[in-house]
Amino acid sequence: MSLIFYSFFGLIGLFLILFAWSVRTPSRPAPLSARAGAGDECGRRHMTYLPQIRQAFADVDFDFLSKKASREVLRRVRRERRGVALAYLAALREDFQALLGMAQAIATLSPELAAIHEFARLRLTAKFLWQCEMIRWKLLAGIAPVPQLHGLSDLLSGLSVRIEAALKELGERAAVAGELASSMNRRGLNVG
Amino acid sequence: MGEIVTFEWMLWGLMVFLNGGLLVLLLYRRNHRVFPSFFVYVLLNFLQCFILFASYKIWGFSSPASERMAWGTQFFVTIARALAVAQICHRVLAKYRGIWALAKRLLVATAVVVLLCSWAISEGSLHFAVLNANRGMELTIASVILFFFLFVRYYGIAVDPAVRTLAVGLFLYSCFYVLNITILEGRLHDYARLWNVCGTLAFVASLLIWNWALWERQPQTTFEPEMLSDDIYRTVAPEINERLKALNEHLSHFLYVERKRS
Repeated sequence: MSLIFYSFFGLIGLFLILFAWSVRTPSRPAPLSARAGAGDECGRRHMTYLPQIRQAFADVDFDFLSKKASREVLRRVRRERRGVALAYLAALREDFQALLGMAQAIATLSPELAAIHEFARLRLTAKFLWQCEMIRWKLLAGIAPVPQLHGLSDLLSGLSVRIEAALKELGERAAVAGELASSMNRRGLNVG
Repeated sequence: MGEIVTFEWMLWGLMVFLNGGLLVLLLYRRNHRVFPSFFVYVLLNFLQCFILFASYKIWGFSSPASERMAWGTQFFVTIARALAVAQICHRVLAKYRGIWALAKRLLVATAVVVLLCSWAISEGSLHFAVLNANRGMELTIASVILFFFLFVRYYGIAVDPAVRTLAVGLFLYSCFYVLNITILEGRLHDYARLWNVCGTLAFVASLLIWNWALWERQPQTTFEPEMLSDDIYRTVAPEINERLKALNEHLSHFLYVERKRS
């Protein structure tokens, strides 16, 4: 049997796995208006806890504890800090997903798309998810020390005026679309 | 004709019955107006059965004339399959103008690349030229369907269950066809008879899936979303990308700090 023989089998196997993943119905996609508003909500929610998160990662606290406290206490602190790091990572991911959802909703309803922006977003998504998973596994395995946080406030600040305006229009269109869809449903039509 | 055993006859009979049933169902539920290319594909398949039956009866099952007839008709059937897939993509995506313009270019590029690659890596004897061409086409169809679903999932676009089931049938059959030809190419003499039976079995399975998908009448028109104004995307998309980039850089920094500390 040649290499080509096995490569065709491998390729079809890969196709089937990807197809099974892509064709399954996602767990009830959120309506456009909800997807659009999510980014704003997340940013503000995480912003509220910023001082506590910063405190949890403060180096000074840990240095002080390492001099004064027992090993058991240090271990516990390290474990709890790791928990905070994981929660923070999850929050960053949530922010990213919310922004991505908003971008996709806008792209879906735009009459013209720029391939360059779409591919850039795809590349950023792949990079983010890869980095996120790597850090998560390293934290879970305990092979990475708890990191410091820098520039968090810049990232979690509110959305810009232009995005706010886009969200407003998107919300209005989504409401119109919702009404149209429900009226079509009432007439017994299956809406895409 | 004596070369065809009873089991193959039965299988062929079942295939013709299901194919005919699907045609009737398409006409009865008026789904032929909704999926005209798919209807043409099913019709051509149905006609191909009778053309092949006649040619086996006249020239015999293993004669070169029958073989030429089989591959000749298969060309038209495969083209009709490709058009049916294109129509499915159009039905789902065309209402989103921007997405459809991008998807069209991407799917055509995928089709061209896969077709060229599959022909380039095929074993080049003239004997296998027709088989390789068919495998290339089927691999292209499978890739286009796969990319279409990846695209649809990425943008969170809803697909009608009937359309999805039709595409599943087309995709599974194309995948099976590629594998079937690949096995035939590797072990020609041992597999030739079984190849035919396996191909028919796969097609029967696809026919069952399509009959199930088109059991109900499908709406001719689908929900048309209202588009946003032109400049929204142009101003917001780069800004969102910048923010995503900032989040990525922050994560890189997160990773960098870890490396520095460890």
